[in-house]
Formats: sequence, C-alpha cells, structure tokens
Amino acid sequence: MKSKLLAVGMLLAAGSVQAQPSAPAEIKVGALYASSGPYASISMPVFDGFKLWVDQVNAGGGVEVKAFGKKIPLKLIAYDDQSSTATAATLYNQLITQDHVDLLIADSGSVLTSVGVPIAKEHKQFLFDVSGTGAAFFTDDNPYVALMADPVSTIWPHYISDFLGDEGAKAGIKTVAILYSTNDFTGTQAAALKGFFERDGKVKVVYYQGVPTSTSNYTVLINNIAALNPDAVLELGYVGNDIAFLRNLQDSGNQFKFVFSIYAGTEKEEIEKNVGVSALTNIYSYVPPSNYVYKPEVGMTQQEFHAAWDKKYPPGSGVAFGANAVYGYMTGLVVEQTLATTKSLDQMDIHNAVFALSGKLKTLDGTFELRKDGAQIGEVTPLGQLQPAGKDELNLIAVYPPDLANGKAVIGK
Amino acid sequence: MLIGAIVAGVVFGLYYTLVGLGLNLVFGVMRIVNLAHGDFLMLGGISAWFLFTSFGLNPFVSVGLVVVVFLLVGLPIYYLVVPRLLRSRDSEMLSLILFFGISQMIEAVTTIGLGATERSLPPRLLGVGPMVILGTRLPKAWIFSAAASAIAVLLVYVYLYRTRLGTLTRAVMVSREEALATGIDVNFVSAVAFGVSLALAGVAGVFAPFILGSITPNMGVAINITAFAVIVVGTLGNPLGTLLGGIIYGVSLMLMQTYLSSWANLLPNLLLIAVLLIRPEGILGRKTRRA
Repeated sequence: MKSKLLAVGMLLAAGSVQAQPSAPAEIKVGALYASSGPYASISMPVFDGFKLWVDQVNAGGGVEVKAFGKKIPLKLIAYDDQSSTATAATLYNQLITQDHVDLLIADSGSVLTSVGVPIAKEHKQFLFDVSGTGAAFFTDDNPYVALMADPVSTIWPHYISDFLGDEGAKAGIKTVAILYSTNDFTGTQAAALKGFFERDGKVKVVYYQGVPTSTSNYTVLINNIAALNPDAVLELGYVGNDIAFLRNLQDSGNQFKFVFSIYAGTEKEEIEKNVGVSALTNIYSYVPPSNYVYKPEVGMTQQEFHAAWDKKYPPGSGVAFGANAVYGYMTGLVVEQTLATTKSLDQMDIHNAVFALSGKLKTLDGTFELRKDGAQIGEVTPLGQLQPAGKDELNLIAVYPPDLANGKAVIGK
Repeated sequence: MLIGAIVAGVVFGLYYTLVGLGLNLVFGVMRIVNLAHGDFLMLGGISAWFLFTSFGLNPFVSVGLVVVVFLLVGLPIYYLVVPRLLRSRDSEMLSLILFFGISQMIEAVTTIGLGATERSLPPRLLGVGPMVILGTRLPKAWIFSAAASAIAVLLVYVYLYRTRLGTLTRAVMVSREEALATGIDVNFVSAVAFGVSLALAGVAGVFAPFILGSITPNMGVAINITAFAVIVVGTLGNPLGTLLGGIIYGVSLMLMQTYLSSWANLLPNLLLIAVLLIRPEGILGRKTRRA
C-alpha cells in the first residue's frame, strides 16, 4: 500500500512538473544597434535608453515573469549592424536561429527595422519595433510585430496639415513645399502629408521632391524652392539632413513663413549643438516625449529619466539625451509589462500580452495604443515651435492641437 | 534655376577639387590608391572642431596648424607603409586592401573615442548670410571654402611646377624607376607628396562642416567614392585634371538636384561608368597625364 501511494505521488509530481515548466536562468533579449554609419545618431540613444532599463531591472534582481511566478535576470545579447541593412538582416537571423532569444528588439528607425520585419515573421518571432514607423511594416496578416514608441508614419504628420489648414490659412499660408529624404520613414510621411493637403484643399503643394538620405547640401534645393515662393517649407529628413538643411537655409538668407524639420525638436540638443540657436529660432517640429511632460502610471517620469540618463551617460560622453533615448527606455517598459502578464514565452502569447496593454499602459511617452495590425496610434506628436527663451536659449513649445498646446505659434518671416 | 545650379556647381566643385587633389597626387606619384583619404579628411574636420571647442580657434587659423601636423604625420606613415607596399607584386591592388583596413581602423577608433554623432562648427565663423553671384544666393561659407580650395590648388600648382622639389616629384610621376636611376631620393620625394596629400585632406576636412553640414566618423567612405569619381573623370595621376573633374562633378550634382533630385546620389557612379566607357584615360587624357 505504501509503495502504491508513493507511485501515485511521483506521478502527480511528474504531472505538475509538466504543467509548470521550470524557469530559465535568464531571459534572453536580442537587440541590434548601429554604433557607426548614418543611423548611429538615432540608434545609439535608443540602445543606451534600453540598456539603462535592463541595468535597472537586473539591479533589482531581474524582471517579474508571470509564467514562472518569479523574478528572472535579463541577458542582453546585442550586435552592431553599423547602419547596414545587409548586416542587420544577418544579425536578426543570428539572434533568432543561433542565439534563440526569447524577445527580439529591432534597431532604431524604419530603414534598419525594414529588414527585421519579414525575418521575424518568417521565424514566427515577435518583433518589438522601437521606432520603425514605415506604414508597410504593419499588415493584418502579420501578428509578429508591434510599434512601441512612435506613431506610425501615416498618422504622425497629420497635425502639421491640420495646423496649416487651420491657423496657417488664417495667417495667409496658401502654398507649401515638401522636400523629403527617400526612405521609409520620411517618404511615408511626405506622401501622407501630400495626401492630407490634397484631401483638405486648403493649402496647395507647389514643390514635392525627394532627395537621397545621404544628401549633405541643400543650397541649390533651397534656392529652387525659393524661386517658387511657397509660404511654408516642410523638410523631412534624418538628423544629418536636418543639420545641413537648417544651416544652408540660414546661410542662403531665404525666409519662409513656416519652416518644419523633424529632428529640430525630436533631437533638439543634437541639432542645436550643430546648427546654433539663431538658425533654429521659430522653426516648427514635432514635440517628442523628451520635451513634453506626460503623467506616467508605469516607470520613471521624464524628469527622473533625464536625471538617470545624465547620471549614466554624462553630457559630452557622446550620446545626447533626446526622444530616441525615451523610445529605448519606453520599449523596456513594454517588455517589462509584457513579461509580467504573458502566459508563457511562446511568441503568440507574447503578442497577446503586448496587445493586451493597448490603451492601458501610460508611460513618459504617453498612452501606448496599438491598431490591430501592430501600428502605434496612441503616442501622439503635437506640433511645436522652437521659440526664444532668453539669450541663446530656445524652448520647444507645443502649439497644436489646442488641447495639447502650451503656447501660441508665431507665424511669419 | 539652370544658371543658379551651374554657379553653385562651380563653387561646390572647387571644394571637391580640394578633396580629390590629395588622392590624385598620391596616385600620380606612388601609383597607389589611398582609400583612407576620406578618413583623413574627417580627422581634419575633427581637429578643427577640437581646436574651436577647446581653444576657440577660428578655422582659418586651424588650417595652418592642420597643414603642418598632417604633413608631418604623413612622413612616418609613408615610411612605415608605402615602401613595403611598392615592393610587392601588385601594389595598386594591395594598396586598396591596406588602406581600406586603415580607413576602417580610423573610423572605429574615432567612433570609440568620440561617439558616432554629428559634430560641426558654428556657421558664423565664416560669416552668416548669402553672397549673390550672377543672381544666385550662395552661403558666404561656401565662397570662403571655395576660395580656400582655390588657394590650395594654386599652392599645389606652385609646388609642382615652380619648385625644385616639385620638378623631382613630377619626375617620379613620369617614371619611378628612371627617377631612381638618376639619383633622385624617390622615397623622400614620395614621402613629401604623401604628407602634402594628407595636408590637403586635412584642409578639406576643416571646411567640411561648412560645405557638408557636419562631420561624422563614418563619412570617409562616401567621401572616397566621390573623390575617386572626381579624379577618374579628370584623369588619374594628373593633379590639374582634378580641377576639371571637381567642377564637372559639382555642376552635374547641382543639375541633378534641380531636375532629378531623387537620383542625385547615383551621380559619382554614373560619371565613373560614363568616363570608363567613353574615355577611360579621363577627360584630359594621356597627353597631360605624365605631368
């Protein structure tokens, strides 16, 4: 009788082991970054922001994983793709097939994410897309991707067209020139903007040209635009493009009523350092979470994060604080909340856990909300303007939409 | 628009003449391709940035320092690398590999030391605002950079055609073996030419923030491709052909930006293919190649 009871006990124990798999010693998180090349300036802040979160979590004993009912340390496996899509494709494959990572984090920006989306889909590995906002990445037949920290490119620029059609039209803005870099990120935004203007019919597009992302001089392009005398000029490029454009614009002496550049606000410190205050005065840009205070329910506030960033990466150490730093940290918060709720590390369970956060997760980046195809639609980007604030200082003021504005736009040359 | 593009192209092309000149001088004298030329240009820019942010030096002052330092640095690099390279069976091909490696090392060390982000100099250092030439508004910084390029080109001309060292340099360009047989200290002449080449790259680097917007550690490869197109168009080994190549490149780029902007980055490759198909010896051709 005793031996029968023992046998039954052993069977039950074996059953319970099968139902509750043993916890891994670590959660493997795979990530790519670009330490060199044209995308390094947007990639390194994201990676450093994410690393800051990993270090914080590990310092507290690891991340809480609901599936195992305990804290487990994170192991970050990161490779440098050097801004090359070919290298990135190889490394995404390596992270999935050789390193067998539990969670896969994309490199920053649309260009380096673009190669990761099909690879992740093919291997049925969920991709935490940090800031690859290209609209083509998100389709109903691909459940293995979600955009973490930026709205998708097709909805991102709608406040620009709304503002120009509303307050801009009242101030006499009737024509607009759009100059964009030909890549997924800015190309999609440019096409969306053109569509918005044509749909609304309030502002006429008189110039619509793409230039290679490697473009480093805009003097002739600005002169060509000036020859058409548009009221507003929208330049959509990466950091290097914006630096060259804003310097050339100031040097050319041409003035327009409304000038917009993406990174003037998004990476304000970086651009201001290279362009100078006078060239940036009254330029319009997006207001990123690094310059707008949202009330987080999870994670650090913007001020706390900025302080933590400055402590870990002191000013002048090579990577400046900005929106991309917030995006990296914000991605960490989504990973943390996902692991705290997922039933298992199965990739579809991870998908379900990420999508379950939609509309409920509020961080320093605003409200995390996903469309059913994985596109980010919650983290809005108000339109802002860099306005003088004392000698040699600029403040990025949110000017549109009215419910998010904390100042008034100054329109004019 | 057409006149504006041509005027801007000539000014912009003068800068690219400066960029290509050093590369062509090295090829002309040593028959090797310095694929790290763009990285030395980047180091020139970094030097100007450092001298301004640390000591407040104006780029016009930095140029003098950069010329001296880069010239002096070029001499030991030459003796360390080039004579061994020239003794090999296929020095042109091996130079591509060797200098590509040096290029990668420079980029990596700069990135590790300074980070990958953009660096620049305030536009006001060369004057803010436009200058109008034939009705075309051009940044003052462009005009000053082009003027500095023109002066550098002129000095190289004086060095090559009005000095004894220049005469010896041209003798080496015609035939290294014959120059050696006549008792010319070929290694010393070549070392000076190598140093002058690096100094030219350094000067181009000092003005890079004003022409290209900013400097990044990874900019070298793109600079090399363009510089290579410029010197092939103008004729490999002919420093004066570089002036023509630079201006053709500058004008073509501005015309592309005006009428076919999305395709502008194909230009160096298109020029290379066109010249290699139509006139492989370059526009100035063989007659003037031998200096």
